[in-house]
Amino acid sequence: MKPGKLILASALLAMASVPAVQAEEAYLNYKSYCMQCHGMHGKGDGVNVPAMNVQPRDHSDNKYMMTRTNTDIYKAIKFGGPAVNKSVKMPAWGDTFTEEELQEMVGHIRTLCCEKELIRGVNFK
Amino acid sequence: MKRFLLSMVAAVVISPVLASAGEDGPTILDTRCAYCHNLKGPAPQTIHDLWKRDAPDLFYAGNKFRREWLVSWLQKPVRIRPAGVNYLRTINSTPHQEGKDGKKYDVLWGAVLKPLVHETLTAPEAELVADSLMKLRAGDELVSGMMVDKSKTVTLDQGEVLIDKVYGCQSCHQIEPGYGGYTGPELYTAGRRLQPEFMLSYIKRPKNWDPKIWMPNGNVKPEDLQKIVNYLILLSKENFDEAR
Repeated sequence: MKPGKLILASALLAMASVPAVQAEEAYLNYKSYCMQCHGMHGKGDGVNVPAMNVQPRDHSDNKYMMTRTNTDIYKAIKFGGPAVNKSVKMPAWGDTFTEEELQEMVGHIRTLCCEKELIRGVNFK
Repeated sequence: MKRFLLSMVAAVVISPVLASAGEDGPTILDTRCAYCHNLKGPAPQTIHDLWKRDAPDLFYAGNKFRREWLVSWLQKPVRIRPAGVNYLRTINSTPHQEGKDGKKYDVLWGAVLKPLVHETLTAPEAELVADSLMKLRAGDELVSGMMVDKSKTVTLDQGEVLIDKVYGCQSCHQIEPGYGGYTGPELYTAGRRLQPEFMLSYIKRPKNWDPKIWMPNGNVKPEDLQKIVNYLILLSKENFDEAR
């Protein structure tokens, strides 16, 4: 491999690997904090759900999730359900996550609902 | 020779018993508790560290527990968190359990389906260990200034409304056996287990005690905070043994 190509390749690799680490953190955060209600695979089927009188959102529900902007999702996580006219059963995680973690979590939820649209480059606002 | 061997075996079997009879509280903590419990702090600072935790942190046990509860629990340990201390290890998405509506949900599995595995202490040992635990007070600053206002009383029904409808605690916590979520510790014994000042401080901001814990800050209003703690104390006086 020519030196030029090597530099280009390593630069690309560096660019690609940063989001990968973030994605892993967001996945782990989702598994740690959200999974208990939203389920291991984000289908709204968490272990606590049979005990709840409000059903958590199914994050793999593409049709519904496409009607939500990234701002809506961000607000729901940071300030809790009531901030987006939803249930108090969705707590506010603003004191738990950093600003960066909140942004990454929105990104992670998009991978659960809207992978095709992500690939197409849809602007979720 | 046989007699010699027998006496050797007997010595090996009996000696720990004899030794433990003379153990003091700190020695029991070091030799039998520290393997799973963190007695020195600090609490896990990253989510990776949190998942490595095997048992509740005890370095602020003196700020957290009521001594009389410790003494009795240590002699007859039972599970307090239905999904265990670390629920990533105890929740499985297959096989699913069927809900009332035919929908499928994640299930508890593994160790939490069996009785709790924990050291069981004798009555004198439990007294010694409780004394030692009550001296672990890394959270003194966090409970200073916390005081229960007994005038903010609630009935069981009003308390349940706060826990279920207003703050949504019941999604993770049970307010009677089998009634509520699995991933948090049971609330119906909280008033017996915990010091009121600890409950006030912990509910106010769980992160102060445990930086990465999955219990969110519910932004509980000061008046409601008092009502919730009074409710938990009232609730713990109910007899739930029949419901178990």
